[in-house]
Amino acid sequence: MRELLLILVDDAVFAGIAAFGFALLFNVPRQALLACVLFAASAHAVRTILLHVNVPIEWASFIAATLLGLATVPWSRKVVIPRPVVTVAAIIPMIPGVYAYKTMTGLMTLHHQGYSVELQQQVVENGLLTIFILIGLSFGLAIAPVLVYRNKPIV
Amino acid sequence: MIKQSSNQSDDLNETPLISGISHAQQAAITRVIARAGQLLQAYNAESRLIEQTTERLGIAFGLDSVEIALTSKAIILTTRFGDNCITTTRTMKAHGIDMGIVCEVQRICILAEKKIYDVQQIKQRLDNLDVPKHNAVVVACFVALSCACFSHLFGGDSIIFICTWFTSFIAMRIRQWLTQLHHNLLTVFFITAFTATFIGSFASALGWGNEPELIMVTSVLQLVPGFPLINAVSDMVKGHVTIGMARWMTATLLTLASALGVVLAVQLAQQGGWL
Repeated sequence: MRELLLILVDDAVFAGIAAFGFALLFNVPRQALLACVLFAASAHAVRTILLHVNVPIEWASFIAATLLGLATVPWSRKVVIPRPVVTVAAIIPMIPGVYAYKTMTGLMTLHHQGYSVELQQQVVENGLLTIFILIGLSFGLAIAPVLVYRNKPIV
Repeated sequence: MIKQSSNQSDDLNETPLISGISHAQQAAITRVIARAGQLLQAYNAESRLIEQTTERLGIAFGLDSVEIALTSKAIILTTRFGDNCITTTRTMKAHGIDMGIVCEVQRICILAEKKIYDVQQIKQRLDNLDVPKHNAVVVACFVALSCACFSHLFGGDSIIFICTWFTSFIAMRIRQWLTQLHHNLLTVFFITAFTATFIGSFASALGWGNEPELIMVTSVLQLVPGFPLINAVSDMVKGHVTIGMARWMTATLLTLASALGVVLAVQLAQQGGWL
């Protein structure tokens, strides 16, 4: 139990710092930076808990993104900042970048070294994982405006 | 309404906005709305946000409706007041991602809705947008720190952490320099990925840390096109399928460009014999 807690804290801290860097890159305004870090840290921690109880990674990403999307609604109303400003930077640590690059470099190796079943298997597995995690993340973010606030603007 | 003294705004104030809008007034309002939409699109706002913001601005200025058609390269909008329609097109000049400007345009829209600003003031604020940018070196430091954090999340030790930081810091500075020179985004991503992997390959060759490969993999993660990807899917979910496809393709091309850079660097390192 204590170990899990330690892993979670470690996870949340590093995900938060990672999101902070990307928030700066996207020029997120100062008053939204702290919120961005906190949202990112908690969303990533939620996903880690779900992964720990053996939820598949795409569902874990979907649930974490849904919670993140719902949690940003009251915040965004209060400070009058559109939600994508924080949600995208907060979700960046969960984006399957490594899988995406493995897919692309795998494709190129496939061309370079010639066809082999193992290589193709890697490309297909990594590619599917990338696509499903991405769809999970962005559908999760879209849940709040699509299901709860149908055609009304949130801010 | 606040009376303006300049000649330009005379046409805006000849009649109060609520009871009726002359053609010239409607044209001026349309130009302001188109400018707001163009800004939002150029700085990578979601299509739904562009649609809502332009519509709300139109209603706030007393128009009947604002219809908008978005393509990946242009924005076409028609404002309607009674039997009067005005249509205008603006091409989009991509400016990269800047959420500060998106926030500012949104805030201006809300000021217009609460009738704090009139058309002329809104136009002035949109023309002189002053959004502070974060210092480039600080941004590079923290983006590099992000990549270093990724390497930690994937199980790297402290040596990997430091090496990743240095590699991605250099790559990020090169990326900022190339962006400043207005290079094509694909070229920027290709060169950045190449430098990051090339520098990282030396650390991997020396066998530093517990998983030397991680330096090469994670220092490239700063190039993951997260914004286009998330925008693509959320656009498609909300019905803007074509523009979502265009964004998805952009993201794929950017990933492909960075992957090409990675592969070239790895092959060079293998030819050189140190990997």
